[in-house]
Parts: sequence; structure tokens; C-alpha cells
Amino acid sequence: MTFAAAPTLNPQNFIDDRPHDGVFRVRHDAFLNTALFDLEMTRIFESTWVFVGLESDLARPHDFVTTQIGRVPILLTRAGDGTLRGLINSCRHRGTLLCPLRKGNQRVHVCHYHGWQYSSAGRNLGITGAAAGQYPANFVDDTHDLLSVARIASYRGFIFASLCDAVPTLEEHLGEARIFLDLIADQGPNGLEYVPGTVSYTFDANWKFQFENGLDFYHFAATHSSFVQILRQRPPPPLPPDLPTDLQDPDPQAQGSYSFPYGHAVTWSVGIPGQGAERRPLPRDPTLFAQVRARHGATRTKWLLRQRNLTIFPNLQIVDIQSLQLRVWQPLAVDKTRMVSNCLAPIGENNAARSFRIRQYEEFFNPSGLATADDNIMYAFCQAGYAGATRGAGSQGYARGLGERPAQQRHDAAELGLRDPDWAYGTLEFGDESCFHAGHREWLRLMSRGS
Amino acid sequence: MNNAENLRLATELLIHEGRLLDQRDWSAWLALYAADAVYWVPAWRNEGEETADPEREVSLIYHPQRVGLEERVMRVRSRLSVTTLPLPRTTHFVSNVALVPRCGETIGAQASWMVQIYEPRTSLQRVHFGHCEVTLARVEQRWEITHKTIHLQNDCVAAVLDFYLL
Ligand code: FES
Ligand SMILES: [Fe+2]
Repeated sequence: MTFAAAPTLNPQNFIDDRPHDGVFRVRHDAFLNTALFDLEMTRIFESTWVFVGLESDLARPHDFVTTQIGRVPILLTRAGDGTLRGLINSCRHRGTLLCPLRKGNQRVHVCHYHGWQYSSAGRNLGITGAAAGQYPANFVDDTHDLLSVARIASYRGFIFASLCDAVPTLEEHLGEARIFLDLIADQGPNGLEYVPGTVSYTFDANWKFQFENGLDFYHFAATHSSFVQILRQRPPPPLPPDLPTDLQDPDPQAQGSYSFPYGHAVTWSVGIPGQGAERRPLPRDPTLFAQVRARHGATRTKWLLRQRNLTIFPNLQIVDIQSLQLRVWQPLAVDKTRMVSNCLAPIGENNAARSFRIRQYEEFFNPSGLATADDNIMYAFCQAGYAGATRGAGSQGYARGLGERPAQQRHDAAELGLRDPDWAYGTLEFGDESCFHAGHREWLRLMSRGS
Repeated sequence: MNNAENLRLATELLIHEGRLLDQRDWSAWLALYAADAVYWVPAWRNEGEETADPEREVSLIYHPQRVGLEERVMRVRSRLSVTTLPLPRTTHFVSNVALVPRCGETIGAQASWMVQIYEPRTSLQRVHFGHCEVTLARVEQRWEITHKTIHLQNDCVAAVLDFYLL
């Protein structure tokens, strides 16, 4: 075995993308290189649209949540006039962290170091002892308001912000991946909310493992075999008597994916035994479900009852399977990532559906669930294994779906109104990997852009 | 039965439970719980408050029946889950046990707990800690746990949270 020399930090050297030769490779050390990680913070997380929060979490004037974009602390507020503000959570005086709390409601944010005050819109309301401060004229003329993100916008309640001005509009950035955000938002006729109880956890691996794994159906049977075994030995849980009886998906068993510009992708499946629409929380509130159906029609309802894993590059995944999870990641180091996970639910859902949704969520997701914990450890195994002997050769993990397409190809793009997506389609054992490519291509585009 | 006796019973049972988990004697550990025992690890609503209603809020773990714990044990025994390859070594500590008033023929107790965790693969070490409440009920000659609530203070855990780490 020969070892290729470690590449210089030119991002182009880490990805071998030759669609016409059926080749797509990512060098293993793209997940290991600390200098590359620093560049990712600058050129990806701090340079593009990043998901920062949910509008229903900032429902009232002066509500705030704190978060992070790349390395930058963010104070997200709803100002007194009802507009959303993405403020840099750093006092203009010395740069101290202004708001140390996760969320709340405050008209005024007072810096605890020397007492400068800011409105919920970020406007400076007062400089302690300004008159006695013997400030020079240039200081008086200067603005003392909090700095803001370059862009903030929200799409159907999902709030995104960018620290860099040179980005397309949010609409363009999301592109047709919007349709899959619609399939989430459509489930809440009165909006969606986080069920109380945010769960944070870490794993000892690069953030890109999470990005890929969230689109990876291939790993399920092996990685989650202990969970599958548990499901198999359970007596079939009884269905509620008021569950609608016409939930059967009319289409044959299948698995597929769509990929979009700017790195987004979604995988979907139909007809996994024991995991049909009758096991989804949504129809368990028959009144709410009837509203959804009436408003969105049979085709979209069919789609929103299918299993769908959506990735909005670079930091958001919405997993709509046995329950509905919204998770974001915050890279902490090249080999350490913090996850923030929330159970997402329609506002006003009845008690039976809500408690079912929560149990299904807890059982699968989070370090305490029976599936995610395995993923977390698997990422750490990858981080350790990637440093191994194949280091120079590039991965063989991007090739499924690159070969010839099956004869009966069918991908339903038209019925969702998708115009020209990249797609893949196969059996339940397909496990497409070509849906990872869009994210890596966007990675390369952003990394090559310069700072 | 007097309070001193109840306190001794509850203390011994909690110490015994920790030891069984450290020794990986899963069958004996499960046998401490009644078939309809509630096992609950709330999540945190914010920095200062835990979730309080498992039907309307997220918990880290909520099993309203022992069968949920039995499934977790089955998962560990199956050797199919990478969370157990290898299993971390643990040392459970319990202290500050005090009685909590309960009605009827049950014993209520609260305690502080800590688990030191060591991962043989990585040599990494960590600790989980918090408080707990238990309710014990008499079944013929023995006492069974009918309710255990485990409050985990450091809830941003590393990768895995399971019954043997609590
Ligand atoms: S750093 Fe905020 S007032 Fe001085
Ligand atoms: Fe997984």
C-alpha cells in the first residue's frame, strides 16, 4: 500500500469529484485536519446561512434565545416592534459576553461588567457614567449599538442567519429544499413548537460524520441492530381506535433521495415494515390531522407521512421518522461536536398524540435513546479509524447510487412540484450515498471562496 | 416499622443497586424493580428547571413499566450495540439518604448519587451526578422499587446515557 503525501491546505485536494467517471471521493483527513477545521469555521459556518432558531421560540416581543454561529456568540431577539434581530452577544465596551442565559424575555440587556445597556433591538440605551468619562469626540460620534449578523431571515418559522453579506437570499439558498421544510411546517396548522426539554450532548468526532449519517439509510440495519432486535421481540403495540384507517401509502416500497444546490439533501422511504403511517404521531390527533389533510391534499399528506431525513447544510437536520426531531450541531474541535436536539410538534396537538410523539422521540433519539447513542459511538469509531492505513486512498463510502439506475426508475419529483432535482431511487436496501455529494460540493465551493 | 429501620432499608437498597450495576449483575438489578415500576430521568427545561410532566415534556428516559429496563438490558446483553463494545467500567456512589414522607405501606427516600465512569477503549473518564428519589413497596418478604426518579445535573453528556451510567 502506498501513502499519498498529505495535501497542502488547498481544499480542492480533499475532494475528488468526477461525475462522468462515476468517481466521488473525500479524503479521510478532511475529517482530521485541524487547520482545515479552522478554515471551516471561517469559510463555512461564519460565511453562509446557518439555522439559528424557531420563530415560535421567540413568540413575544423581547423574547430572546442565545446560540452560536461558528465561534461567534449570538443573541437572537424579537424586538419591541416585533422584528427578529440577530445580535452579536458581545458588549461593545470590552466585548464581554452580554447575555449569559439560554432564553428568556428582557426589554433591556445590561452588561454585568460596567453596566452598559442595550434594548432588545440591540440599540445602546446608556453608557455608565458617560458624562464623567472624559471621552474624546470620536468616541461620542461612534455607534455603541450591538453588532448584528449580516443577514437574518426566516422561512415558515425556521430562522436562519449569516455573518457574511455575500450570500444569496434565503429563498435562493434553500431552493427546492424549501418544499421539504414545507412538509414539516405543514404538519402544524397553528405552527410548530419545541416540546419543552432540549437535550444537548457531545460526541468525540468531526461534525461531518453527523452531516453524512443523517442522510445514511445504509447504516441502519447494522448500526442499529440491537434496536431492531428490541422492536422485533415486542408484541405489536395496539393502535388507537380513532386512528384514520386510510393511511396506507399507495406507492410500492422504496427508498430515495433528492439533492439540491447549496448542499441540502433529503432521503425518504416508503413501506418499511412496522413503521408505516400508523406509527407516526401526526394521525394520532384525528382532528388536527383532518385539518392538515383538508388543507394540503392527498399527495402532500402522503409525503408528509413518509419517513424523511432532511439536511439543510451546514448545520440543520430534521428527522421525520417515528417522531419528529430537529437537531443542530455546533463543531467544537476537529474531533468534538456538540449537538442540540429538540422534539418538534404541532402547536395545539392533543394529549394522546403528544405523549405518543414524546415516547417515540425518547426511544430513538438522544444519547439516552436506543439508536442515536449507537450513531454517536460510531462517529468516534470513524474518527479513530480514519487515521488508519487507508488514509491516503480516500473513502469508498460515496459510491452507492453512482452506478446504472434500475430499469423501473421512479422518483415522484413532479408530484411535489420539484423542477429538476438530483435524485436517486431504489429498494429499501438501496442505502444511497450519492446524496452526501451535494454537501461536500458545497463544502468545497465555500472553502474555495477565500475569506 | 420505625423510621430508623426504614432509613436503613432504603440506604442498603440504594447501595446494593449501585453495586449490582457495577458488577453487571443485570438480572439481580432488574429484580429490584416491580413489574409496574416507573423509571424516570427528566430532561432540563432550562438552566434551572427540569421537565416535570412526562406526558407533555421530554424526558431523557421515561419507562412507565419495568419492561423498558428489560429491553435496555437485552440490548446490552446482545453485544450488538457499539455503546457496549466495550462496556464502560463504573463505580456507583450514593449518600445523603433521607426519608421522604409517603402514604400507605411504602417507604420514600431521597439521596445524592454519583457514578464514576471509565472507558477502556479511550481511557477517558467522566462522572455523572445528581439526586434521586425512590419509592419502595413491600411484596411478601421483600421490598421492591416501584418508582425511581433520577435527576441528572450534568445533562450534556458524552455520547451515551444508559441505566448503568446512572
Ligand atoms: S464590557 Fe460591557 S460594560 Fe464594560
Ligand atoms: Fe443512525
